[in-house]
Amino acid sequence: MTALELSEKALEAKDEEKNEIAVKLAKAVKELSFQIEEKEKRTLELEEVNKELESFSYSVSHDLRAPLRAISGFSEVLAEDYIGQLDEEAKILFSEIIRNARKMGELIDNLLEFSRLSKQDIFRGSINMNEIVGNIVTEMTKLEPERKIDISLMELPEVEGDKNMLKQLFFNLISNAFKYTGKRENASIEIGSYSRKRDQVFYVKDNGAGFDPRYYDKLFGVFQRLHSSIEFDGTGVGLAIVQKIATKHGGEVWAEAKVDEGACFYVSLPVKIKKTNDAE
Amino acid sequence: MMPNKELQILLVEDNMSDAMLTIRALKKHNLANNLVHLYDGAQALDFLFGKGEYEGRNLAQKPKVIFLDLKMPKVDGLEVLRQLKADDSTKFIPVVMMTSSKEEKDIVESHRFGVNSYIVKPVDFENFSKTVADLGFYWLLVNQTPRE
Repeated sequence: MTALELSEKALEAKDEEKNEIAVKLAKAVKELSFQIEEKEKRTLELEEVNKELESFSYSVSHDLRAPLRAISGFSEVLAEDYIGQLDEEAKILFSEIIRNARKMGELIDNLLEFSRLSKQDIFRGSINMNEIVGNIVTEMTKLEPERKIDISLMELPEVEGDKNMLKQLFFNLISNAFKYTGKRENASIEIGSYSRKRDQVFYVKDNGAGFDPRYYDKLFGVFQRLHSSIEFDGTGVGLAIVQKIATKHGGEVWAEAKVDEGACFYVSLPVKIKKTNDAE
Repeated sequence: MMPNKELQILLVEDNMSDAMLTIRALKKHNLANNLVHLYDGAQALDFLFGKGEYEGRNLAQKPKVIFLDLKMPKVDGLEVLRQLKADDSTKFIPVVMMTSSKEEKDIVESHRFGVNSYIVKPVDFENFSKTVADLGFYWLLVNQTPRE
């Protein structure tokens, strides 16, 4: 073989190889575009199901309120008009009906609030955290003026976010701190923050009842509670709302605690929030 | 004019329990003396425009306020509101939308049609009674509406 023949042959072989690769590539591209299509379909399906679920939980909780109002209303009317004819036992039974109806009302309201949050967009603005947290602390202190609580409030940085949502987030965390220190002689609550790379971490720390870390995975779930309502009243929606709001802002929540030694809840919020976080 | 016979509150509510509780709360404060209760939106429109079973009704007798439930069979509260506010003879009658729904869409729609007040009925009876009584006081005794 001459040198020319040799190089021609080599070129031919290269061409064949090239063709092979091209075929493989075309196949891969086809597969990829099929996968993308499937993914898009799946996303659409999921969005649809999500929407359905939202509207389901909305209408269920909405329609549940009317009969509940009737139950609590007529019980109270009955108690009011016929209280003279009731003995002590009957009075206790009535108050149980009324108390439970009220509790169910709270559950429904919280569920509604939670489902509404999913649909809500973020109104972005610069938020003065000192003002928000300060107001909540003042409000909470006014509700329980007889309690002695040592509150330490650090200077907090501004963040970008939705004012109403962040108010709610910190209200839930701080009111929890008040609630779970309720049985402490010397209650203390500390609110502060520190910065990390791209975000600010805020924390609310208390020396209250804490929680059992074994059940940590349930902590932020809807209707999940780590204390009985005899110990501490509640509906189990507060922390789910906290997590939802943090996620909507592109942040995170986590917590540390020991039983009976207090808890510390952390929320990270990005200094600047991305536009994609507007809707889920 | 016989002020005592004046129609004061028109309550449009399909839920009998809610209606009974509303009327009771108003009665307690002597605010239900001249109250008419209708059961759905279609009936309310007939009443206000003197049609159907209310043909020939003296239309000069206008309620001082309408308490309107949002979710009703046949014609809902929003439609009643829209027609009322679009008609010169009824547009000045104050309408209070009373509903279980805090749904933003409903609130926006109601205000777009010119609702005078939008109230979410509290589940808790004490709050409910107080809300209804406050509404009665405000719209019957405090508020002033143009004569025509």
